[in-house]
Amino acid sequence: MLKKYKDDYFSDNVQFILTDNQGIVLESDQSFLKIEIGTPMEEVHPFFGSISAVQELSENTTFFNCVQLGKNAMERIVDIEMHKKKEGVLVMVHDLTDHYVSYQAIAQSRNESIINSELVVLKNLELQEREKFKNQFIRNFSHELRNPLTSIISITNILRSTDLSDEQKKMIDFLKESNSNLKIMLEDILSIGMIASGKLHLDHKIFSLSDLLELLRFTYSARAKEQNLTFNLDFGTKVPEHVEGDRLRIYQILTNLLDNAFKHTKEGSVTLSVELNQKWANRASMRFSVSDTGAGIPKESIQAIFESFHQIETGNGDGSGLGLPIVKGLLELMGSKVQLISKLGDGSKFYFDIVLKEPIHTLATTKRNKETVANYQKKKSLSGAAKYKILLVEDDEKVQMLLFKTLLGAKCFNIDFESDGAKVMQTVLQGNYDAIIMDVSLPNVNGDHITRLIREFPLKQIKKIPILGLTANAYADDIALYKKAGMNILMTKPFEEEELLNSVFKLVSN
Amino acid sequence: MRVSKKIVVLGHFGVGKTSLIRRFVEDSFSNDYKVSIGVHITKKVVEITAGNQVSLILWDLEGTDDLSNIRDSYLLGTHGLIYVFDVTRPSTFENINGDLRIVGEKLPNAPKIVVGNKVDLVVPEDLDRLLQRQGITYDYLSSAKTGGMVNDLFLHLAKMLSSDAKKI
Ligand SMILES: Nc1nc2c(ncn2[C@@H]2O[C@H](COP(=O)(O)OP(=O)(O)OP(=O)(O)O)[C@@H](O)[C@H]2O)c(=O)[nH]1
Ligand SMILES: [Mg+2]
Repeated sequence: MLKKYKDDYFSDNVQFILTDNQGIVLESDQSFLKIEIGTPMEEVHPFFGSISAVQELSENTTFFNCVQLGKNAMERIVDIEMHKKKEGVLVMVHDLTDHYVSYQAIAQSRNESIINSELVVLKNLELQEREKFKNQFIRNFSHELRNPLTSIISITNILRSTDLSDEQKKMIDFLKESNSNLKIMLEDILSIGMIASGKLHLDHKIFSLSDLLELLRFTYSARAKEQNLTFNLDFGTKVPEHVEGDRLRIYQILTNLLDNAFKHTKEGSVTLSVELNQKWANRASMRFSVSDTGAGIPKESIQAIFESFHQIETGNGDGSGLGLPIVKGLLELMGSKVQLISKLGDGSKFYFDIVLKEPIHTLATTKRNKETVANYQKKKSLSGAAKYKILLVEDDEKVQMLLFKTLLGAKCFNIDFESDGAKVMQTVLQGNYDAIIMDVSLPNVNGDHITRLIREFPLKQIKKIPILGLTANAYADDIALYKKAGMNILMTKPFEEEELLNSVFKLVSN
Repeated sequence: MRVSKKIVVLGHFGVGKTSLIRRFVEDSFSNDYKVSIGVHITKKVVEITAGNQVSLILWDLEGTDDLSNIRDSYLLGTHGLIYVFDVTRPSTFENINGDLRIVGEKLPNAPKIVVGNKVDLVVPEDLDRLLQRQGITYDYLSSAKTGGMVNDLFLHLAKMLSSDAKKI
């Protein structure tokens, strides 16, 4: 009985076919392929053209797995064995359709998911390319804006010191304010570009946290008064006096949050508070928060306000709309995250925690008295010495004129000009200068190249001439390059008159 | 006179091997992807010159990204091969020279045609630049979807094989 069942079972699933050496069918058990004796196997199915190749092999047995026979064989999927025999070839066909159908389903989902993940990668690549393009664009664009803005700021300053009617003075003051807003926006755009392209590096130094907070108190108390608001500063007693971190960036974060708070608060108060979360070894974790009694932010907008250019898109308010995205980006660099608690009509509170090193020895250098331009001027005129001799290397006539006027105004300098990079070296050799002010990008030769030539010059009095570089490139890596070339101070355009004089005095009095 | 020639179609999965054969044999196309397993064999007779026919036995192999895995029995008695990659998926051609070397070791004497498929999905200039940059050479750029170059590439191989036959 068992044998019959067994035979039935196998006859349904296996077919035996015997062919001669030319592949002509000698016998077939007809279990699922109907094959007439005497037909060439190639005509039964093109697969069997392989029989001749099998016969040429030295092996006696050859296996073919997972052969799809297609329509003529009712979509069967089979394994095929071929055994060389003395009559010819014995072909055994195993019908494994069920098995292979489930294997196919597995292969299907495996392949699909691999291909999908590749598409995701491709898409990301595309996104990255677009992001890169955007950053490059921002970089170039803000760069291009710097030069004209420098001229505008300087001309405005010069204009302000000429004879003007009261009404004209008022207009110039408006102009000045717009200029400085424009400058801030440009800085914002640059910052976001640098953060996004990973070009912004933190500069950790020891600084006085309490001084920083005092500066903020001073600035924002005045602003609060203007807006009829109260400004509170809560400085927890356990918060360390001095910390090690990037003072400029922490300042940038706090001013952005405070500006934002003041912008959205019509009445009540704005509060900046700093508390100590915990302290271990020489590290302190601190929470900074800025809260206001303003309009609050609806829940659905919370995500969006941290995205670049959100405000521009919504056309809401002034400023670049980049303040909060910058805060977010800078905090990410510091390994922190800005949090927001807000309800529509119930004010907002932005806060973040950062861990800063607390220095064991506080260096005295942190509280240095700043020399003012007036101080420098006084010293120079008291000493009765001759004026400083300065070489100005700048090809842009407008900038040239402005620098000239500014320096002349200080009454401490004699100034020579050179606009051709190729001739600078010669002029320097003949001139006996106290300092050189030089644009980095000059026709013919670049400023950093000339600087290197000067620094490598064998005569000490030439080699040591202090150099102030002027550049429209605000990127840290470019600036580092110029410094490496030997420039002592670098100023990025646009700059204020006062800044320039300060730097030049510093340069010549060292 | 009619001769039979076995052609294997190989390449990574999803590159359009089955679609190219279907376009060539049935002149049809489907956007659905049904993963092939094992091997599927079809036949098409082409006329190379008047009265000179070749019967092409097309072996559509399961796609794989590791060509050394291909079962040797599938390659028995192969006369020619078509190697297909997908121009939209760099993973299918990034290592094409290595892949072709493996195939070349398995089938040292078989003439081969290298095909970049799915050109309907890309901008030709971008593709040229990409392939050139990667140092990839090919014989045809095809589209199973539009039919572009499909007949040409099969016929080209058929001709190569039948002239081989004459030489023998
Ligand atoms: N747009 C476009 N799609 C194509 C083309 N060729 C194939 N496809 C699509 O690509 C997918 C895969 O095609 P198949 O022919 O099954 O690929 P394969 O190489 O046989 O895949 P495996 O059998 O898994 O190795 C399917 O969705 C097809 O519709 C083409 O030329 N253009
Ligand atoms: Mg397939």
